[in-house]
Amino acid sequence: MNDLTSKQPLSRSTHGAGSMMDNEKLIAESPDLRTTAKIKRETITAVGVFGLTILLIFLSRFVSPALGGWDQVNTVLVLACFLIVVSFGQGIVILIGGLDLSIPALITLSGVLTASWIGVSGDGSWYLFPLIMVICGGIGAVSGIGIVVLNIPPFIMTMATGIIVASSALGFTGGSPRGGASPLLLGLMKGNVMGIPWIILFILFFCVVGVLIQSRTTFGRRLMAIGSNLNAAVLAGIPTGNYIISAYITSAMSAGFAGFMLVGYANGATLRMGDGYLLSSIAAVVVGGSSILGGRGSFVSTIGGTLLLTTLGLVISALGVPQGWKTVIEGCTILFALLLLREDLISFFSRPKSRK
Amino acid sequence: MAQAPASAEPSAPENGLLRRLFSSGTGVIALIYVVLYVLFALWDHSALTSGTVVNLANNAAPLAIAAAGETMVVLARGFDLSVAGVISLTNVIMAAYPMEGPDGAAISLLICLAVGGMVGLVNGYLVSVLKLQSIAATLATMIICQGLALVILDAPGGTVSDFVADQLTDVVIGVVPVAGLIILVIVAVWLVFQRTAMGIALYTVGSDEVSAQLSGISVSSTRFIGFVSAGMLYGLAGFMLSAQTATGNPNGGASFLMLTFAAVALGGTSLSGGRGSVVGSILGAGTLMLLQKVLFAGGVSSFYTGIFQGTVLVIAVVFGGLITRLSERRGAR
Amino acid sequence: MSNWKKMAAKVGLTSAVAALALSAAVGTASADQKKFKIYLSLSYSGNSWQSEAANVVKALAATPPYDKMVELKEVISGADPQAQIAAYESMIADHADGIVSFPISSTALNRVIKKGCDAGVKFFMYDATVTEPCAYNISYITSGFGENSAQALVNELGGKGKIFLSRGVAGNSVDKRHTDGAMAIFKKYPGIQVVAEYYSNWDDRTTQQETAKALAAHPDVDGIWAQAGEYGAIQALMDKGNKLVPMTGENSNGFRLALANPEFQKRGLKGVSAGSPPAQSGYAFKLMMEVLTGKRDLKPQNIEYPLPWVPADQVKPCSGQSFENGCNVFPEGVVPSSFVTEIFNPTLLPELTLKSALDGKPTPGATIQALAADVVVTAPAEPGINCQKCEAPKDLYKLTKIKATVN
Repeated sequence: MNDLTSKQPLSRSTHGAGSMMDNEKLIAESPDLRTTAKIKRETITAVGVFGLTILLIFLSRFVSPALGGWDQVNTVLVLACFLIVVSFGQGIVILIGGLDLSIPALITLSGVLTASWIGVSGDGSWYLFPLIMVICGGIGAVSGIGIVVLNIPPFIMTMATGIIVASSALGFTGGSPRGGASPLLLGLMKGNVMGIPWIILFILFFCVVGVLIQSRTTFGRRLMAIGSNLNAAVLAGIPTGNYIISAYITSAMSAGFAGFMLVGYANGATLRMGDGYLLSSIAAVVVGGSSILGGRGSFVSTIGGTLLLTTLGLVISALGVPQGWKTVIEGCTILFALLLLREDLISFFSRPKSRK
Repeated sequence: MAQAPASAEPSAPENGLLRRLFSSGTGVIALIYVVLYVLFALWDHSALTSGTVVNLANNAAPLAIAAAGETMVVLARGFDLSVAGVISLTNVIMAAYPMEGPDGAAISLLICLAVGGMVGLVNGYLVSVLKLQSIAATLATMIICQGLALVILDAPGGTVSDFVADQLTDVVIGVVPVAGLIILVIVAVWLVFQRTAMGIALYTVGSDEVSAQLSGISVSSTRFIGFVSAGMLYGLAGFMLSAQTATGNPNGGASFLMLTFAAVALGGTSLSGGRGSVVGSILGAGTLMLLQKVLFAGGVSSFYTGIFQGTVLVIAVVFGGLITRLSERRGAR
Repeated sequence: MSNWKKMAAKVGLTSAVAALALSAAVGTASADQKKFKIYLSLSYSGNSWQSEAANVVKALAATPPYDKMVELKEVISGADPQAQIAAYESMIADHADGIVSFPISSTALNRVIKKGCDAGVKFFMYDATVTEPCAYNISYITSGFGENSAQALVNELGGKGKIFLSRGVAGNSVDKRHTDGAMAIFKKYPGIQVVAEYYSNWDDRTTQQETAKALAAHPDVDGIWAQAGEYGAIQALMDKGNKLVPMTGENSNGFRLALANPEFQKRGLKGVSAGSPPAQSGYAFKLMMEVLTGKRDLKPQNIEYPLPWVPADQVKPCSGQSFENGCNVFPEGVVPSSFVTEIFNPTLLPELTLKSALDGKPTPGATIQALAADVVVTAPAEPGINCQKCEAPKDLYKLTKIKATVN
């Protein structure tokens, strides 16, 4: 806060214009003690989440001697890649204050179509991969249109879309998905170049692009504006309807892409491929500091949230305790991370410091 | 200063009641339920027998009570994911430590309410005092509760006391299901609560937290009460689930997560707070369970039930939104 | 009439019309009095095992003479026990003659099953079992998958080594039975150390990810004991490097082909493919029909289905569409690696070919063959699995398929 008790009292002259000019001179000459926040809150959250992840990696050496090194980092990155892609989409939707419950179903649909249309031969990849992305995007657009035009709450609309898509996938495959992964997908997920796995290079590229899109483009900034205050965004002339629909299209296409990756990883598709990615994507976004109400969050901290949760899962699975206790420990650690990264602590660190 | 124009004379008294019902969404879901039941009766001749009604009440009771609890949190603008964890936990406690007879049943009930209430206390503390986001905090407590359930019972088993399993799924006075009576009690308590200061505070905090704070309402106490009462209702839901399945299942609560929110939203409660009612959520739960039966009776092929469920969900919400908006516009004149 | 009342009337009229239209579109379920009304009640769906088991029943129900005698309806209720309870109630109210089902819980359905038995409905459960005495359980679960496969792994490892346990779904009674049986064997050998135990949900991809996590912490594993989804473990090992280890698992096509693959054998893959056969559903259906048509007098009991047992050196690819000449796996490309191979039983189910399991269509020219009079093998009582107030036999974890070659 500004230091209101100035060392020099304003003069209280009883004259007219002369005293006004004196006051102005006083104000112009008084020291400028205004400040802004020293560190942006988003930076603090990101540093906090990544810091916790690194701490966890160090601590995991106590759980098993094989952990705690670069090998573990490698494993975490490879295991986390699906969640990173999915969390990007979920993060965009949460940024505008919505929620996408259709992600597991879209992952499954994309995986099933990839395995059966493209299959092991890879024939027609050049037009089939984009076609599948368009189908997923189209489903996302349907969700978005329902939310914008028909005013259906995002929770219900995406839940309904998810149920319908999952049911269609079940009907399409008759219960048994056929096919496998094409050489391109296998190469992406299992191949490496000069010793570095392709997937790690790809994920690094994806993270950079994702951060740029969410934080540096007009698209991302407008989404954040819509999330903070829809009415203000409308008044500012932003075509909010189009942006909201695009957010859901983005989320659906991220889920579709994750489906491709999973087919490559497991060399096939199953009808349960998307299981687990709903709650974990929401958890990754929220643990990473984004507000579920929208308007705040950065992909950098979401990536941190993803890595933290994946590392946590890896360390916990190496503990030699019964499953029930593993689950309890997992929940407690998440709670601990949330408590460390909470609002008032972050405000404490980012509060403006007065300049001397 | 200009005088505010005198408002138009309200027409017949029942107009106001109808309008209130429909603008809160409760009337809409009640209408949808009736329509579905009519379809059910058309396709299945046993639909109107007391046996079917009792079965429906027993099946819907756990979800209905869980949805009622969730409404307490959603009204004040929050998400409570711990419903799945509390139900699993109370279910396994009932099955691992059965207590015989009516006294035993009363003690078991108190234990369930206490467990749920404690989880609600923790949630309330995390959200109101420590200012964590409700979806994140309750996600963590849900995971912890599910882990504890697995620690207590690592595979389905145990036995629930015969008194609980038999009496709570039975009927009194020949045709009235006990489960139905319990739901009616909850509805009655809600209708009273809705008019108390705390009930109104719940709605106010949900619509506009800042003005609620400025009008002197303690936002954190209101949320606290919301979470604790929600937790206790989840405990009751777990109790009723144990009565229906008569055994413990550490994963028993998992399917309740999505279904509870669907029931709440279907019942006309807005997921961003400030509008809705427990009665609507209970009817929403009943509709979801009835839908399964209607689709079965209609002979819908098993692969495509999902498509029907999703479509009905969307139609119901659109329909409901339409009617709510129309009735609000009408009421504003 | 005020605008509001007009609106309400309009809404009411529209809903009534919509309801009638919907009713006309979907149609009513009619009952044909002469046929047996049989319901196929699935709970969990969405993996190959479940759909193959369902297809086997559908194929048999469409094979003469049952195609004229049986009206089969499939109901999928999902992973929620209450949904399956509601489904059973609807089927009982619809006067079903028999229900052949995969129950989602060994205990939660007991009360509604009892009500059904009292109303004269016959319940035949396959693979998963219930503890209600009036239901028939047809399952391999008592045949000792856990203990036999554990002993096979111990034999391969010479009695010592570090192993992973890849389990099923946490909190599930089938997973518990298998794991208890396996641990009973592993505990006898102090040289065997379980360094990692994880839940793979009987899914290939989850097995792959969980095994990868376990490998990160214990890269020097010597062997893996796995329930369904075992092919994912092999993929995780291959992702990590060139080394494979002895493994036991269930009977996915991918796993059996891997066991027989000389390249993989050179890298260290050895073991046995056992596990849960989808063919149990067909056996259950045929038994039920024989009971309903009066050809067999069978009281409600627990019936054991034999455990499949295919060591690596006995894997033999099939050239055609059915299990002939002792073949027990399909060549690569014919079916995906997650396809569950044990869909046949030449003795019990000669009417089936691969198409039956893939599409649920009957085999042209086949007719239902009667089961042998003495085919029923009673299963031992196992509390929590197929009975409630009962005691397990003293030799619950006895080995039936393999002898210990190590002390």
